Amino acid sequence: MAIISVKSLSRYFGPKAALNEVSLEVMNGDLFGLFGPNGAGKTTLLKILTGQLEPSSGRSIVMGIDVAEDPMAVKKLVGIVPEVESPPTYLTSYEYLYFVGKVRKVEDIEGKIDEWFSFFDLEDVRDIICRDLSKGMRQKLMLASAFLHDPKLVFLDEPFINLDPIFQRKLRQYLQNYIESGGTIFMCSHILEISERLCNRAAIISNGKLVAYGAMTDLLSKGESLEEIFLRLTEGGG
Amino acid sequence: MPTMRALIWMMLKEELRTHTTFSGMKRFFTFPLMIYIFSLIIALFLKRLLEEISLEELGLLAQASIFLYGLGVGSFGFMGKQYIERKYGKKNYIAALPAILPITYRQTFLGLYIRDSIFYLLLVLVPATSGLIVASLIVGFNIGSIATFFVAAVLSFQFGTSLSFLGSVLFNRGVKVFVLFTSCIAALVLVGSLTSIFQAEMLVPSIGLQLSMPPFGDDLENAIVMGALSSLLIIGMIGASMALIRFHYETSNARFSPLLPAYIERFKISSGHKEVVGKEFVDLRRSGTISKMAFSFVLPLFFLSFTSWFVNTGLGIEVGFNSVFYGAMVGFLGVLLYSWLNNVDNSEYYSLLPISVPDVIRARLLVFLFLTIGISAAFVTAISVINGELDILWLALIVMFVTSVYMVVMTAYLTGIRTNTFLFDMDVLGKFAVMSFLPDVCLTILSFGIRSNWAFSLIAISIVLIVLTTSTFLLYRGIETKWSPASFDTQ
Repeated sequence: MAIISVKSLSRYFGPKAALNEVSLEVMNGDLFGLFGPNGAGKTTLLKILTGQLEPSSGRSIVMGIDVAEDPMAVKKLVGIVPEVESPPTYLTSYEYLYFVGKVRKVEDIEGKIDEWFSFFDLEDVRDIICRDLSKGMRQKLMLASAFLHDPKLVFLDEPFINLDPIFQRKLRQYLQNYIESGGTIFMCSHILEISERLCNRAAIISNGKLVAYGAMTDLLSKGESLEEIFLRLTEGGG
Repeated sequence: MPTMRALIWMMLKEELRTHTTFSGMKRFFTFPLMIYIFSLIIALFLKRLLEEISLEELGLLAQASIFLYGLGVGSFGFMGKQYIERKYGKKNYIAALPAILPITYRQTFLGLYIRDSIFYLLLVLVPATSGLIVASLIVGFNIGSIATFFVAAVLSFQFGTSLSFLGSVLFNRGVKVFVLFTSCIAALVLVGSLTSIFQAEMLVPSIGLQLSMPPFGDDLENAIVMGALSSLLIIGMIGASMALIRFHYETSNARFSPLLPAYIERFKISSGHKEVVGKEFVDLRRSGTISKMAFSFVLPLFFLSFTSWFVNTGLGIEVGFNSVFYGAMVGFLGVLLYSWLNNVDNSEYYSLLPISVPDVIRARLLVFLFLTIGISAAFVTAISVINGELDILWLALIVMFVTSVYMVVMTAYLTGIRTNTFLFDMDVLGKFAVMSFLPDVCLTILSFGIRSNWAFSLIAISIVLIVLTTSTFLLYRGIETKWSPASFDTQ
């Protein structure tokens, strides 16, 4: 069953089409990877699917909700990690997660916060304001805030960026467990090596158009690596 | 010097692009056109206007307003710090470049000062003066008087920006130094008001320059002294600001006790907005914005009171500023505070949560009310006591409350969470000017008649207040429809 359904989606910024007639489906339980060069339209698509941006035309349904009609309903259900880690400047790490928990009406907020602080080893920066955190710490905080309310679907834009190898591995394992326990992930990433091992379905986008889409096993069936396919399909594209 | 020239040129481009991001180039450039037309109309109908207000009052109000405007835009110390500290968001500014390029913060802060001096001179003062010059061809103003007005206006503006620059640089040095600085200014104003040690007009000497020259006076010598004094003070304040700039951006690792849970609990009266209201208060406290807001709200109030005292006592011109007038003025100053609330932190992360732009606007309106009503009421009451007008205090408080809420809701409706940007959009500014200017003029004129024609003034003020209350209600409801599709995204 499709948890995300995108039909003929386009988004223009002035005359430039950031997305051009994109159609795809993400099934329940997928770890779906969206890959593409810088400026190809990955983040634009993610923002439209999460109700952060309106499309110019086309339709997107997320968890049975028409995103353009009710973006708030979608935001209530899903978790989002943005491209740029930008938690509020003046809240401490603890306060940010508390704020997210209150807004999302999470039960046992304190327990959940402790759980994520322990997972990401954030205890030491609990009382430090986000402005003073390192990029890696901020990324961990954004990841924790996306999963805090136990969503069934999570959108991740470059989740591994700024994380050290230890936490990249830890996050990879967590994402796999999350999928096994019934969750779905829509992920944009440039780290193709990890993504190739992690994703079961994928799409490659170039110049706002899908140039490859399907099961990861099908994409890799000719013996090429994901990186080789990516370079072949997007060479000269953006 | 070539570096500095290039830096300022790039900063001017950056400022223009920041302002045109949302409104577009064409609409932005209609802003000076509107200033020009507004100035032209005022000049053409000056004779009619002078039946209600004296020329001295008008000149004084114009220069005082320009000074206050300069005071409002000149906090480059805050601005530069804010640019630097927000470099992690999607936006980055030239002011943050000393971290990676061989230029100094001193250069970039001076660049900000020069940038805004040029920017606002071209955007506001030049078009306003052009309107007067064109009107002079029809109504026969003396070109020399217009030239004096322009010089005095430039000095008033620069005096305001320099004072604000110095204040904000001192604030970055430490709150105690800043408090000492503002206390010294307050003491100077008081001494100037209560004694004759020095002339009160020396506090803002460009006003003295304006009032010494035709059509207000004819004392060229005094005008030159005031002009020179004004220039020296401006140069002195810029020099002091440059010498005192100290900025080291480093992560402090300072620890903060959790405030948010207690603040959410404290503001639970805000119902569905309590989380955002609580968070905004934490932001205000930790960012030091409360002090900045006080600087930009209390100081103009203080200056306003001093100006009227100076006109009445120092210049011996009898004007009818009373508590009701102040009630209205306090309300109109609220726009400054709402603008500050939209500048504490970037709001992009709200887009990740089930929070809409109207939710944040409503929360900030509540924050505004929580913050200001007490201070405003105290100010109006104090003015009422000082002027011996306790009999009209009740009316002044009602006027203050209604205009405060109306102004901030109207500003929120028109500009959403980007007040600084949208107030440069011709369409928005046009609406803002009409919606603020009309009630302002009505209440000001009606307040002057309170003593001479009590019954008529009371009925007329009541009608204005009913219209404002109804408008507030409609605009508040309109916020949802207008801003629901808006995004927190700054891209």
